[in-house]
Amino acid sequence: MLAKTISKIFFLGMLASSALLSSCKEEKIGEVEDIPGLGGDTWVPGPVDKWILDSMTTPYNISAKYKWDQFEFGNITKTLVPPDEAQVIPLLRTITKAWTIPYVQEAGKVFYNKFSPKFFILSGSNEYNAEGSVTLGTAEGGRKVVLFGVNLFKIKGMQGYNAAEDSSFVKDWFLHTIHHEFGHILHQTVLYPVEYKNITKSLYQGGNWINWSNEDARRDGFVTAYSSLNFDEDFVEMIAMMLTEGKAGFDKIVNSIPEGTSPRGVTKAQAQASLRQKEAIVVAYYKNTWNIDFYSLQKRVRGSMNQLF
Amino acid sequence: MKKLFLCLLFVAPALFSCENSDDTLFEESADTRLNAALASYEKLLVDAPYGWNAIIYPKGGGTYGFHFKFNDQNRVVMYSDFSAETAAKPKESSYRLKAMQTPSLIFDTYSYLHILSDPNPDVNGGGVGEGLQSDFEFSIFPDSLKEETVTFVGRKNQSRLVLTKATQAQATAYANGDLAKAVLFNNISKYQTYFKRITVGNITYEITPNQQTRTIKLTWLEGNVPKNFTTGYYFAGASLIFLKPLVNGSQTINGFTNFTWNANPTQLRFSAGGANTVVQEAIKPLSVDIAAVRRWWQEPVESGGDWRTEFGFHVNGVDDAFGVKDLEYEDKQYAYYSYVPGGDTRYEVFSPIFFTADALFQEYGHLGEPPTFTADGRIILTARGTFGAVPTSGPAINSVNLLYEKSGYYLIQTSETTYDMVSAKDAKAWISWE
Repeated sequence: MLAKTISKIFFLGMLASSALLSSCKEEKIGEVEDIPGLGGDTWVPGPVDKWILDSMTTPYNISAKYKWDQFEFGNITKTLVPPDEAQVIPLLRTITKAWTIPYVQEAGKVFYNKFSPKFFILSGSNEYNAEGSVTLGTAEGGRKVVLFGVNLFKIKGMQGYNAAEDSSFVKDWFLHTIHHEFGHILHQTVLYPVEYKNITKSLYQGGNWINWSNEDARRDGFVTAYSSLNFDEDFVEMIAMMLTEGKAGFDKIVNSIPEGTSPRGVTKAQAQASLRQKEAIVVAYYKNTWNIDFYSLQKRVRGSMNQLF
Repeated sequence: MKKLFLCLLFVAPALFSCENSDDTLFEESADTRLNAALASYEKLLVDAPYGWNAIIYPKGGGTYGFHFKFNDQNRVVMYSDFSAETAAKPKESSYRLKAMQTPSLIFDTYSYLHILSDPNPDVNGGGVGEGLQSDFEFSIFPDSLKEETVTFVGRKNQSRLVLTKATQAQATAYANGDLAKAVLFNNISKYQTYFKRITVGNITYEITPNQQTRTIKLTWLEGNVPKNFTTGYYFAGASLIFLKPLVNGSQTINGFTNFTWNANPTQLRFSAGGANTVVQEAIKPLSVDIAAVRRWWQEPVESGGDWRTEFGFHVNGVDDAFGVKDLEYEDKQYAYYSYVPGGDTRYEVFSPIFFTADALFQEYGHLGEPPTFTADGRIILTARGTFGAVPTSGPAINSVNLLYEKSGYYLIQTSETTYDMVSAKDAKAWISWE
């Protein structure tokens, strides 16, 4: 025991002396403050940079990268192009109006700044996948959200805006994506009640969701085809659809389920009941976990969207 | 024993680390030199008082002309010969120099240069998800820099970008919309005839431009012998520039300039080799490849294949003039139109092919007699009968009626495996077979 203690002290002594000895001839490490690329890329800031700083970074601690950096994108073999500068502010302003402000008003800045993703990465074009689909957006670890197709984005007042096409495009594309990803952050922080998983437990499709249309999926009690991938996607798709469609829109989806029994044996009444149960759990989850009145949040999101389109 | 080793382990660094002067080959650190290099490259780009004339050679083919003006605020203003709009209206975007595996020049927000790279085929007519395989991030190599000319290599597709210092007159020309005048040349596609000719000096050339691949083919006769010349091209200032000049006897053509365009009547004028010329319609080739019709007809007979076209007839300037792409048969979708020569004994078959998820179907079609080959190089097709439930009107009937046009067709071989079948009546209708 004693021997052990001695040897410990001895080692510590050696450790200290080796540090002392080796530091006897310390060299300067050079101009560390001037290593290229350290601390990120630099350029002369312009109006877009100022807008991002004033409207996102200062109030919400969120950065948005719109200048090209291939390595921000998950798959660097894909051909992408950077956003057109003229598109950046309209897109980010839309996201702020239809996502940031409703949450801040409903749940407070502390909540929002704590949980919102901090890095937005923008790509001008879509990401094309081998099987013919395109990727709309991706999220990594609740910190970073990548939005594709920024150059295709159009809202009221922009040149070439076509209400019929563009409103649903922006809704289903950018706003759906951001509400979807934020939903993931929330349930990854505090999981939703397990009863949610029992509602349509036997009907999840896994990777086969891609072969289903939204209409098919709704007959089984899923709000979108993608919902049927797994429990978590189902939960956040419910959040995204309920917020971007609004209460009336969601009711319309539930009521539009046709008569009869789905190929997988679900009746109209069962499918509608499943969607209503899921809705109730989402609402209760927001109230009990985050103290957010979901229906009030829904009204704010939908209200801001009505101004944009 | 073990402890002894451990002790040595600790002592060792103490002994070695006192002697650690790291003499370097260079006087300054790598980072300092890299920063200096980046700054000098930027200075070179910015210091050109009238900007740079640029040519890019995308991996996907073609050649495109640009004019860039860089400033020291990471901004660049450019013109591009991609379209009438990009040639007329300058666009400002951003750029930066960055130390990557090599020092790199990045055009980092969307500009005319990115149009070529855009993976959306609606933007540039390129492949889905890859565009024209061009670049907007470029490596800078030490030997790429010369005082008047700079050559960069694309990081993704290895496209070459060559910058040449512009003169004051050239910069003024871009600002005055000269490039927009040059791209008036693109209106040549508005001539309705397949064949077009220009006369330069006393030589008549057949001119065959391909605007997607950016090539021009010129054909002329020496006595009765046809000669061909093919070159890539791009636009700079008010001119179309050949990548290589045509030297034909005493005549040298480097490109075309002084364009004027009149829509009605269709008339494109320009000067070539110092002489003025006007593009004229022609209803037959300058030199008919008389053997082409038999080659075309014989090929599937021997290989057992067929000729296919997705769009059917182009007529009077309209692609898929009869709308064959909208054909349907019950629940089956249109795939392509097929022509199967029958050989010397059997019927010729002209029919649409339909598809479902897992199979192709030939539901109906038109049968033709063995064709007539004329001495002047035409093929004449005539009706024999039909099979299946042939519709009584619509795209299929319009197509077959034109196919049996009694003047017949010339066959123009456009590549080893493709032919254009051009109406001998007026050269305003054709099918591209592949």
